[in-house]
Amino acid sequence: MTVLAATGAGRGLRRRLSRTPLWGAAPGVAFLAVFFLFPVLRLLLLSVQDADGGFSLGAYARAFSTTVYLHVLAITFAIAAETTLISLLAGLPLAYWLTHLPPRRRGPVLLLVMLPFWTSALVKTFAWLIILGRNGVLNRLLLAAGLIDHPLGLLHGRGGVMVGMVQAMLPLAVLTMLPVMLAIDRRLNDAARTLGASSVQAFWRVFFHLALPGLAAAGLLVFISALGYFITPALLGGPHDTMLAQLIITEVQEMMDWNFGGALAVLMVAAALLTCWLYERAFGIASVAGGAALPDPRRPLRRLGLVLLGVTADALSAAGGGIAARLGPRLSGWALPAFCLPVLAFLSVPTMVMLPMGFTSSSFLDFPPPGFGLSWFRMVLASPLWRDALLRSLAVAAATGIVATVTGALAAYAVARQGGRWGGALFALFLAPLAIPRIVVAFGLFTLFARLHLVGTSAGLAIGHAVLALPMVFVTVLATFKGYDWHLDQAAATLGADRRRVLVLITAPLVRSGLAAAFLFAFITSFDELTVAIFVSGGIVTTLPRQMWDDMILQLNPTLAAVSAIVFVIVAAALLVAELLRRAE
Amino acid sequence: MTNRQQQPSRRQMLAVGGAAALIGMVRPARAGRQLTVADPGGPYSPGYRKAFYDPFEQETGIRIVDVAREAYPTAQFKAMVQTGSYIWDVCTLTNFDRDILAAQELLAPIDLAATGDPGLMPGGVTPLWLGVDVYATVLAYRTDHFPAGGPQSWADVWDVARFPGRRALHKSPIDTLEQALMADGVPAPQLYPLDVDRAFRSLDRIKPHVDVWWTGGAQSTQLLQSGEVDLCAMWNARAQAAIDGGAPARIVWHQGLYDIEGWAIPKGCPHIDMARQFVAFCAAAKRQARFTGKLSYGPTNLRAYADIPPARAAILPTAPANLAEMAGANGDWWRTHRAAVTERFNSWLLG
Repeated sequence: MTVLAATGAGRGLRRRLSRTPLWGAAPGVAFLAVFFLFPVLRLLLLSVQDADGGFSLGAYARAFSTTVYLHVLAITFAIAAETTLISLLAGLPLAYWLTHLPPRRRGPVLLLVMLPFWTSALVKTFAWLIILGRNGVLNRLLLAAGLIDHPLGLLHGRGGVMVGMVQAMLPLAVLTMLPVMLAIDRRLNDAARTLGASSVQAFWRVFFHLALPGLAAAGLLVFISALGYFITPALLGGPHDTMLAQLIITEVQEMMDWNFGGALAVLMVAAALLTCWLYERAFGIASVAGGAALPDPRRPLRRLGLVLLGVTADALSAAGGGIAARLGPRLSGWALPAFCLPVLAFLSVPTMVMLPMGFTSSSFLDFPPPGFGLSWFRMVLASPLWRDALLRSLAVAAATGIVATVTGALAAYAVARQGGRWGGALFALFLAPLAIPRIVVAFGLFTLFARLHLVGTSAGLAIGHAVLALPMVFVTVLATFKGYDWHLDQAAATLGADRRRVLVLITAPLVRSGLAAAFLFAFITSFDELTVAIFVSGGIVTTLPRQMWDDMILQLNPTLAAVSAIVFVIVAAALLVAELLRRAE
Repeated sequence: MTNRQQQPSRRQMLAVGGAAALIGMVRPARAGRQLTVADPGGPYSPGYRKAFYDPFEQETGIRIVDVAREAYPTAQFKAMVQTGSYIWDVCTLTNFDRDILAAQELLAPIDLAATGDPGLMPGGVTPLWLGVDVYATVLAYRTDHFPAGGPQSWADVWDVARFPGRRALHKSPIDTLEQALMADGVPAPQLYPLDVDRAFRSLDRIKPHVDVWWTGGAQSTQLLQSGEVDLCAMWNARAQAAIDGGAPARIVWHQGLYDIEGWAIPKGCPHIDMARQFVAFCAAAKRQARFTGKLSYGPTNLRAYADIPPARAAILPTAPANLAEMAGANGDWWRTHRAAVTERFNSWLLG
């Protein structure tokens, strides 16, 4: 819209626009228009065409002629919803516990929470196969301990899917909630206690209420991300755990029926957008969108949402109160860590199992390794293929992080500051890349990049990854702005700072924890991204996940574990240095 | 997708190039006489390099740059030809994918007729494609679970009373329907056209006893190697990988289905002459024999077995003894029925 203004509308409009903070969204809007809306809409257009390019509704007729696609859509939504629910229920106490830790200890614990991020989704899934299999680590432990007589069937069902999905999504949930929770003034809690509230009451009546925007954002991010998952359910699930993304990929890649694949993609996008809308009505995700007014509590859906939240809070509050009463004040202080430490262990188990397997002497992923050696590390480090892939992944992820954080944070600033009708529209636009299955984005980008000669370039990869990372950045920064005191900006402006100086000197430093989290999300999104990499790399510029995928399709050996260990060491070292620098400050 | 070959404008190019150069990420320009070939990656790359790439470079001076293609390269292939943006010159395709792409007129003739090698197996070469290696979908079982001899046919796999154990099948109708029909007594030469109703009736009987429906090749190796399952329908090289790694397992060639993979050239390829020269180069028996040292795929040129040690030949799908036990998968039938049967298969699986 600022682009429109620049190309000449009336002077009045131009003056009005030059004053609005909405200009901040311009780079992001332009970026998404070119690299997201255009390619995706062109691809979706395929769904109303026949193979020869004429108009046809045949693809939709086929999709609705059988119940199988709606069935798979329902399964996809059920898996995403279950993942979201469990991630929020486990994530809320964990995030709350983190806010109470002294900053010195919070850093290391946060690293543990983020551990799953640094292990590729593929590797984590295989780690679960090794842990939960019939002859897996867990079954052997239980058998040896005499707790069971026969190995338990832990895999190839919904339970296995949940283990894999929640482990992948929980860090996202916690890291989205945390900045909002950290911004809550702790003295409010004390005030509530002074006024006679028990600690449990103070939590639910005050803290939980103030943390809701973060919870809402976390729920939406997890839900939408989970919708597009397919590798984890395919490997850990049973015959009933088929995801729609898997069927779209099959149509596009194996059947070469882009028209039908497009129709399935439209089905998924429509259902995802409908969910976003319902979610917004019920839980007021738009309240995250700064200035936008809270939904009218008299609306039936909103009322339903409030009732649901109220019931949940009451139930949990009663349960919490009951447990606290039974344990007594001394023991109830331990309840939170007693819950959080096993969750942390759950998050880190796959990495802990995978790391030693890099040092195995066997040519398989066995745990425990039958013997130790460094041959797999030697192989990886001596291979230019793996070295290049690692360096390129780091470079592309850094570029993605910078591009997405700058454009996404500016847009979040604009929406938080301005809000209103434009705010809602921008909110929808910036979240859209999450709601569209990655395969659709990747395929659309591929046809666009082929024309721009960006296929097989690192720049193309970074652009594609930035599209996927923008929603994460946007939501995270927006949630941070929710608790931001705009009076500080006004004060600076009163003292003579112009808008740019206020942004750089006041706003940005005050939301830096949100910015750091956003950069991290963007970096990780790129570092672990496979779908766009498969399409855009053309096999010429290989990233680490792409190289792992190629390796895994055809062979399964400890190379994956060795690479994971190397990545782990590099990332741990980088984070440690960052932490030390921060402390030196 | 439109068929217009829209070229980016000069300004677009400059802008994109400038932006890319700015962050120092632009792809190095291709130089000299070289050919970019897309193979399936993984163990294929070193195998093909030894057999084809290095000897070709030495003989012609044309450098071969090998890249790993996608597992299903058809979509990429199509977009490449439609946009005129050739990221590689030659690519391996299964005869399935070859037929899909040929039907959409996306392949260039390989012009091999003149140099065609008499040793090539039936179906090993077409005007648009040269088959190079053969893989097979076979039955594999754990010998530690069946010390007294395991199942020898699909009927045995379906016989859960005589051969108890955990079973895994491929989560795909292709091959699985054929296996169901053979289990029901249909002889391999009479499989096609598939009696789909009969196949699903047969599948109904085994469904409660299938513990895992696998989706990826490496997953099937892991299932067999870890002992998660005792019987598995899988690709021969995936079973061989488990055996090579020390897993107590055996491959049953009887009633296997083989399929051929080979080189094709995208229509409009800018290096068509070099590409054809390379494809023709890969037909020779002696050269094909060299990749079998590391890869457990069979050569399409059956004369290659003159240069392959008997112990190695025993694990390759096209060794005469193994080939005689198997039938070829019928891509023609699947091309016309695949969409409908896949839909039915997915529906059946959820039901």
